[in-house]
Amino acid sequence: MPARSASPLSDENSLARRDGPRKRTVQPALASRVAERPDLDGGWLVAADADQGLVTRVRELWRYRRILWFFSLKSLQTLYSKTVLGPAWIFIRTLVPLGVSSFVFGSIMQVPSGGVPYFVFFLAGQVPWNCFDGPLIRGSRGIEINRQLLTKLYVPRIILPLASMTAGVAEPVIIALVLAGSLVYYRVNEGVWYLRPEPQLLAAIAAVVLVLAFAFSLTLWTSVWQARARDARFMLRYVVGFWLFLTPVIYPLSAVPADIRWLAQLNPLTAPIETFKWALLPGMQHSWGWFLYSVGATVSVFLAGAWYFTRSESITMDKL
Amino acid sequence: MNARWEVSSRHPGAVATLGEVWQYRKLLGFIGDRALRKMYRRTVLGWLWLFINPLFPIALRAIIFGGLLGVGSNGLPYFLFLIAGSVVWDTFSNSLMWGTRSLEMNRDLTDQIYHPRALLPFGNMTPALLNMALKVGVLVVAVIFYTAQDGRAYLRTDIGLLWALAALAVALLLALGISFFTAIWGETARDIRFALSQLLSVWYLLTPVLYPLSQVPEQHRGWMLLNPLAIIVETFKWGLFGVGELYRDQFAATAAAVLALICIGLTYFSRAEARTVAER
Repeated sequence: MPARSASPLSDENSLARRDGPRKRTVQPALASRVAERPDLDGGWLVAADADQGLVTRVRELWRYRRILWFFSLKSLQTLYSKTVLGPAWIFIRTLVPLGVSSFVFGSIMQVPSGGVPYFVFFLAGQVPWNCFDGPLIRGSRGIEINRQLLTKLYVPRIILPLASMTAGVAEPVIIALVLAGSLVYYRVNEGVWYLRPEPQLLAAIAAVVLVLAFAFSLTLWTSVWQARARDARFMLRYVVGFWLFLTPVIYPLSAVPADIRWLAQLNPLTAPIETFKWALLPGMQHSWGWFLYSVGATVSVFLAGAWYFTRSESITMDKL
Repeated sequence: MNARWEVSSRHPGAVATLGEVWQYRKLLGFIGDRALRKMYRRTVLGWLWLFINPLFPIALRAIIFGGLLGVGSNGLPYFLFLIAGSVVWDTFSNSLMWGTRSLEMNRDLTDQIYHPRALLPFGNMTPALLNMALKVGVLVVAVIFYTAQDGRAYLRTDIGLLWALAALAVALLLALGISFFTAIWGETARDIRFALSQLLSVWYLLTPVLYPLSQVPEQHRGWMLLNPLAIIVETFKWGLFGVGELYRDQFAATAAAVLALICIGLTYFSRAEARTVAER
């Protein structure tokens, strides 16, 4: 039966979905479908739900929230389990590269930093950047690493990338702590508060939320690709590595020549990262207009991604 | 029909291991082929990766660091400067990564037929060597392009080229020497590989590939020279273009240390291989 193997409603799929949310409808549906379709000649056909809207999926996610919690904890544990140093490993792995790169970019390459010490400037860029980098890379592996599990029982697919993203949040938190420490250091040693204690600090939170939302929206695409092809992972590493250089993280946006600055601003990450720096440090610039542009870009990537993810999940299952 | 068989234990030690590798050299091509195939299995772009890999990152870094941030380059065009440094650095880091994975990747082969284990780090470096050849090709094209454009001979045509060649060889041997250790560790512990790739990304920044050593503040330069790769990279660029400084003594010391490392590594490897196979 060629028709059956080509359709997303094939046997493997039905096994994976047997415990699904529409479990109660399976038996009657089976009887009626088999009767309706003579070409199946006694074979199995268990329908995957084709018409679940966004609301249904969100409700389903809420129903499975404890599983989401469980997987999130598990992904946090994988950060340091089976390493000799334990949780200290996360700190070393985060802090050593930070120290080295800020020395190389600030002190050797003399990258401009808009009047604040380069180390502070660098950390203020790294916090929002790591809210993007870590969650995206880890979230994209969500489906792939739980392949074995998915062939055995049903969980809403979206839980897996979402839970894997959790581990990525550990790094920006550590960097934010270091940033706070270095601000205190400069206050004590040089008597300058580089932090501006003003209501616009709230904008920093908005920027972080926006970056996380953007990372999640992209994960909706990348986690599907990664479950299908191995080079999606290499490609993602590549693209994210370039993206860092194309985003004003290690340098200020003002270092980009004015006539091609709009090109850098087309990058949806530019505005939130600039906003984050502007909210924290004195003498920075940002624009709410471009921030709104980033919000718009995130919403469209999310909506398209939600559609793509829902459409692909059953097809992807067959190829695992 | 008077073939004589000698059944005896293997002789551990650097020389015996090397001799055995030489005896089985015909297998090297086979192992290299396996490594190449493994790299592109289940990928959509397949062999294209061989070309994307070296070229794309260098081009982007040249734009950001050379164009946007105006990092110095000893008076050379930044792209030329960057690709020369990258040839050495990428040869080192790629060979090290492939060498480290050699035992783990070929486990199925080791389980089935006998071959000297020491053959694997050698053979598994094939993708890294291929990558190096491609980059050297790009380097040659860049030299020709800039020479024609600026009407100025960038490349030296004297004994310096031999220094450059020696530097490249030392980088390769250093990677080989380290892989004798990391391959053994990496066979049982997969996180060696991840830890190594993290270490390499930090090491990369501390090696004068993106910037010339002369741009490092005076008080830190002595520390930078403790990094053997810094000396190797600087020697390579001095040998090719005559820019920067030749640290003759430090380079000689590095080369001697690398040879010693290879001897110790081979000895360690030959002693450990029997043990790791038994432990599986």
